[in-house]
Amino acid sequence: MKNQTEKNTFDAIVVGSGISGGWAAKELTEGGLKTLVLERGGAIEYATSSKDPWEFKYRTHLTKEELKERPVQSSHCNAGDKQFYVKDSEHPYIQEKPFKWIRGYQVGGRSITWGRQSYRLSDLDFEANKKDGYGVDWPIRYDDIKEWYDYVEEYAGISGSSESIPHLPDGVFLPPIPMNAIEKHLKESINKEYSDRTLINGRVANLTEYKKGRGRCMYRNLCSRGCPFSGYFNSNSTTLLDAYNSGNLTLREHSIVKEVIYDEETKKAIGVKIIDAISKEEITYYAKIIFLNASAIATASILLNSVSKYFPNGLGNSSMQVGHNLMDHVVNEGTYGTYNGLLDKYYEGRSPGTIYVPRFQNLDAKTTNTDFLRGYGLQGKGNRENWESKSTEGFGIELKAQLETPGKWKISLGGRGEVLPNYENKISLDLENRDQWGLPLVKVHFEYGANDLAMMEHMTKTSEEILIKAGFENVRSYRNSPPPGSAVHEMGTVRMGIDPKTSVLNKYNQMHDVKNVFITDGSCMTSSACQNPSLTYMALTARACRYAINQFKSNLL
Amino acid sequence: MQRRKAIGGILALTGIGVASFTGIKFFFGNSDRGQLPNYLNLISELVDVIIPPTDTPGAKEAGVEDYVIDFMESCSSTKEYNNFFNGLNDLQETCLSDYNTTFEVCTEEQKIAVLKDLDSSADANSLLTKINNKIRGRSFFNILKSLTVEGYCTSELGATKLLAYAAVPGSYKAITTLKPNQKAWATQ
Repeated sequence: MKNQTEKNTFDAIVVGSGISGGWAAKELTEGGLKTLVLERGGAIEYATSSKDPWEFKYRTHLTKEELKERPVQSSHCNAGDKQFYVKDSEHPYIQEKPFKWIRGYQVGGRSITWGRQSYRLSDLDFEANKKDGYGVDWPIRYDDIKEWYDYVEEYAGISGSSESIPHLPDGVFLPPIPMNAIEKHLKESINKEYSDRTLINGRVANLTEYKKGRGRCMYRNLCSRGCPFSGYFNSNSTTLLDAYNSGNLTLREHSIVKEVIYDEETKKAIGVKIIDAISKEEITYYAKIIFLNASAIATASILLNSVSKYFPNGLGNSSMQVGHNLMDHVVNEGTYGTYNGLLDKYYEGRSPGTIYVPRFQNLDAKTTNTDFLRGYGLQGKGNRENWESKSTEGFGIELKAQLETPGKWKISLGGRGEVLPNYENKISLDLENRDQWGLPLVKVHFEYGANDLAMMEHMTKTSEEILIKAGFENVRSYRNSPPPGSAVHEMGTVRMGIDPKTSVLNKYNQMHDVKNVFITDGSCMTSSACQNPSLTYMALTARACRYAINQFKSNLL
Repeated sequence: MQRRKAIGGILALTGIGVASFTGIKFFFGNSDRGQLPNYLNLISELVDVIIPPTDTPGAKEAGVEDYVIDFMESCSSTKEYNNFFNGLNDLQETCLSDYNTTFEVCTEEQKIAVLKDLDSSADANSLLTKINNKIRGRSFFNILKSLTVEGYCTSELGATKLLAYAAVPGSYKAITTLKPNQKAWATQ
């Protein structure tokens, strides 16, 4: 611990400032801990958030030059939000099989660009591994996390409707974003045609009412550019701001964490070594508690790179599970259909919301699906075609007339399915190939299993059937599936569990092997469920922070 | 159109040599980007036939030619750049042979006739066209029309005069009754 000074020593260090890192920063600083947040990217500004379409020289398109720098990220970004996605050319990784690692290196991380869908897990999810034997059992159940969902929802602001669906628990909701005419039509049709499923308002972290210190959603539907009204939840306008206001926050940008330093005498981590992204200087910071919130792949790679005599395979990796069990959600390309009716109805304002068909397979004996285990939900959106989607005839005056009138109603639906945990799906380090900071490149090895693929096929068939029964025409699906990683829900690489021999974290997201290291980003997930996961990361983070603060104050860490 | 058809016939007779030359150029051609600014006047006239001025502004007034050129120069694939560039030259050649003048100084009727010929020669929805688009890139007319529509509908004049645009709606009325002649929203 030489060179340790008051200046480089904190009560806690949080690695990453995205959704879960922001929560850790807020909870720890408000709990009275002097906290250092390390973010590998820099500060952001909302340079494009208020631009009109004509202010973009190439409209939404990326140039060939930009595409070349972003062969992976380009499928997920456009000219309006590209600044919140990394250049693959600067941050390479190795795809042993095709896997999209979509990243945003900046203060706030991917909380700037996330999809904002927020759903609770239930005991159907927490018990799934135990019941069918894939993966290990979760060390928690819904009762352990329920109050923490309440807590984070109340703070974040989730708009949604209470539906009394046992496996998709209701939460603390702001008023839902209402459905438009075609979405209501589809809801009514599903109610009429099916007894096993329903369609609900998507639950999204957009403010339908004012919240202290934040604006309301202005219905611009430009969320991914950053919101000048703070109309949706992200770290920058909420958790990091509260952490800053507590007086206990130090935020260090451009700080790439190289490794967590382990002390064999105390059997604890004593700090982290960083590389300044710009000067490339190595600096060590010390703390009694360390939270890793760098995102599933990055957190696992930090652990694997933290090699010591006691942990030759990476910090806290006596189970040899670190980096393994990588999951994403299985998604299809989507199904579309148009509807010839309701032509006297329209809308005003642009909804950032969605509609949602919650999982309806394998809930009980009656809903057993013989094609696959577990299940999926469908997300979608309806609107009237405009110039972007209308197919038009001819040109001239005739074309103008077609462009200026609202087109047919259309709905798009896409599935989000649970991926089974599989030890073979993993990330590892390539010690032979290194990045510009001298860190080993991450190798990703991921393949969908038969169960995942069966689900993908099923969600497409189901979407088509639902739309056809509701009277839609031209119902079509894209049959080719997007590569894994496309849901940007990577998780599972440092899983929670009961047994230290088969899991890395305990029920408080504390490392079994190293008691003062906590991991609450997506890597902690023991199974993936089919719900969008960020809300669960928030709740687990707040819960783990409470535990860590109590332990810290009782001098147990 | 007679002379073009004759040329087509001659090319067909000369056979494989020419065809494979075109093929190589399609796939491996090192297209010389940077040439389209020289075609500014022609492209301005073309976009204005696709979206002419009526009681609302036309594409030329909305500056759509700049967008077409910017996109083609910086964003397009090599295949489509070549298709577009060759399409412009073929079009001028057609005008010279049919009307003895360039497209820019053709009469309105002549301009419309030239584009109509290009439009009907490619049925955008046919399976063959779709397969062809995949392999060879979209046709000259398809590129021209879709970029003109996009450039115009996202231009300030197009979005606010032909269509309806609200930068900051402020609220969301999920279900409204369509008013007579209500315009489509420019953005979703």
